[in-house]
Amino acid sequence: MHSRASLILGICIMIIAGAAIVIAMDWPLKAKLFPLVIGIPVFCMATAEVAWGLLDPAARSEAMEFRLSGQASGATAVRRTLLAIGWLVGFFAAIVLLGYPVAVPLLVFLYLKLQGREGWILSGVFAGVVWAAFYAIFDRLLHVPFPAGWIAAWLGLA
Amino acid sequence: MIDAFLEGLLLVLQWKAFAFMLLGIAVGFWVGLLPGLGGVTTLALLLPFIYAMKPVEGFAFLLGMHSVVATTGDITSVLFGIPGEGTTAATVLDGHAMAKKGEAGRALGAALASSLVGAIVGAAALALAVPVVRPLVLAFGSPELFMIAIVGIAFIASLSAQGGRGLLRGFLAGGFGLLVATVGQDPQAGVARYTFDSLYLWSGLDLVPVLIGIFAIPEIIDLVVRGGSIAGEMPKGRLNRGALEGVKDTFRHFWLTIRCSLIGTFIGIMPGLGGAVAQWLAYGHAAQSVRSPEEREGFGKGDVRGVLGPGAANNSKEGGALIPTVAFGVPGSSSMAILLGGFFLLGLVPGPDMLTQHLAVTFSMVWTIVIANIVTVVVCFLFLNQLARVTLVRGEYLVPVILVLIFIGSYTANNHYGDILLMLFFGAVGYLMVAGGWPRAPFILGLVLGKIVENYLYISVARYETAWLTRPIVLVLMALAIAAALYPLIQARRFRARSEHRA
Repeated sequence: MHSRASLILGICIMIIAGAAIVIAMDWPLKAKLFPLVIGIPVFCMATAEVAWGLLDPAARSEAMEFRLSGQASGATAVRRTLLAIGWLVGFFAAIVLLGYPVAVPLLVFLYLKLQGREGWILSGVFAGVVWAAFYAIFDRLLHVPFPAGWIAAWLGLA
Repeated sequence: MIDAFLEGLLLVLQWKAFAFMLLGIAVGFWVGLLPGLGGVTTLALLLPFIYAMKPVEGFAFLLGMHSVVATTGDITSVLFGIPGEGTTAATVLDGHAMAKKGEAGRALGAALASSLVGAIVGAAALALAVPVVRPLVLAFGSPELFMIAIVGIAFIASLSAQGGRGLLRGFLAGGFGLLVATVGQDPQAGVARYTFDSLYLWSGLDLVPVLIGIFAIPEIIDLVVRGGSIAGEMPKGRLNRGALEGVKDTFRHFWLTIRCSLIGTFIGIMPGLGGAVAQWLAYGHAAQSVRSPEEREGFGKGDVRGVLGPGAANNSKEGGALIPTVAFGVPGSSSMAILLGGFFLLGLVPGPDMLTQHLAVTFSMVWTIVIANIVTVVVCFLFLNQLARVTLVRGEYLVPVILVLIFIGSYTANNHYGDILLMLFFGAVGYLMVAGGWPRAPFILGLVLGKIVENYLYISVARYETAWLTRPIVLVLMALAIAAALYPLIQARRFRARSEHRA
């Protein structure tokens, strides 16, 4: 996992830096100076990192910061990681389709019901409390403009 | 001078000014806690309210709010691993790691106590430095400011991972951050760079969604994967004991706290660098101050010094940033630029008058920073252990609330769905970095400094061509950058030699 993630990241940065250099070539000097000054060393370092990873996959380097816990491993860890990504993507889809005021209580309710296996009443009350806090702070107090979802727009309700 | 100093205190303690300061503190308290809602935006929103106020009341209100944002932003960073403010991201690294070990109370105690020390040092610097700061600011032109930024990146890149490969990854992450910062309209030629015909990308990548994504998403995924609470199965007693221990830590590492406060003050004085830079430099300095490889390995896994450094620097930079704003009318950051607008709204002209005719008003700002931080820290300590208990709440309750906060926090950056996509994209980058053992701090510092570095580089080249490379302060800073890059290798060699000698 460690070396595979590192390799994926190294290759991605290499591709991004390479593309950035190629794209910048067409710009006037003022605009391309900095992207080239930075992009070329980044491309070289990313290439070195990828080569290091391929030639010596066992060589590890730990960053001085947070590490993923190893409490779950193997298939369980992969399944739960995909589940977490599913919730993130699902919440984003709900926001776009239904809008924040509907998506927020829906996420909280479904998460507690499906992931937390809580009862209907507790899930409903907790979702209601979170929605009330969201509405009071962000809508009434701060007047953040939350657009209606696409579905409401299609139905002509927005 | 002493009369004006005391008069400044009395001005702040007048009931009306004090009440406005408390109101500002209350607003700043919540702004700091909520991820994404920035102190700068709030400062701009509050500006119209000061029209009818007297100068002291207006500054008590604005500075009261602004000076506590970083203090309470640390709380969100420690408890949830989400930077409450852009300026409190460095606290996540060790503060949240401590929370996961069941030491949330200690981390919060350390963050708050060091914030208070930092605020006092920054305010003292403001009070003392005004007469002597002029030559310092004038000695630093674009070439020197460019080199300070490079020193900062070299410092963090070399200290945030271990070994030769760690050094490579640190510089690669920093360079990638600088490259990502070039997205958007180029300031010199007006070319839309890497925008792919998207209007959203024209103004560049907003720091808030990137920060939230890169720090919060890996934490959330990890919380879902391992289940349970943030602090796992830690006994409750450890949380209750921690807050006072955190305060003691501040005094155990008092000189480190003071040094990091001075770093914050210095960065605050320098135009254009700002709090997001100060915290990382302070973190780098804290990591550099270790005495053994074992201590070094503890950084990022919950070393209290990693909380003390950024906590102190975040708050001391406010006093520092006020120095050029008050003395020369040169705002060092966007928040100071907004505050400068406040000066004019209140009928004051920054400059020599603020050091003579309106000296008491200037000192009232010093007192506002100090008193606002004392009030906030006292209030926070009253509820600290209750706050720390949040880390014992089951993940099933916390995850949806955190998800709501980060999706709203990102969205409020520009009120655009692109902010959420940006947050998710950099969430993926952050997850890969964490999974691969890459340091995230250099990337963030590169992103923060990207635009500044490009501007200073362009001005330096346009104004001096290659001669800027031979300016004395530039040469000193260049040597410092090289030393910072080589320091971990030299340090590792020294540690190895020492252990061989003992054996």
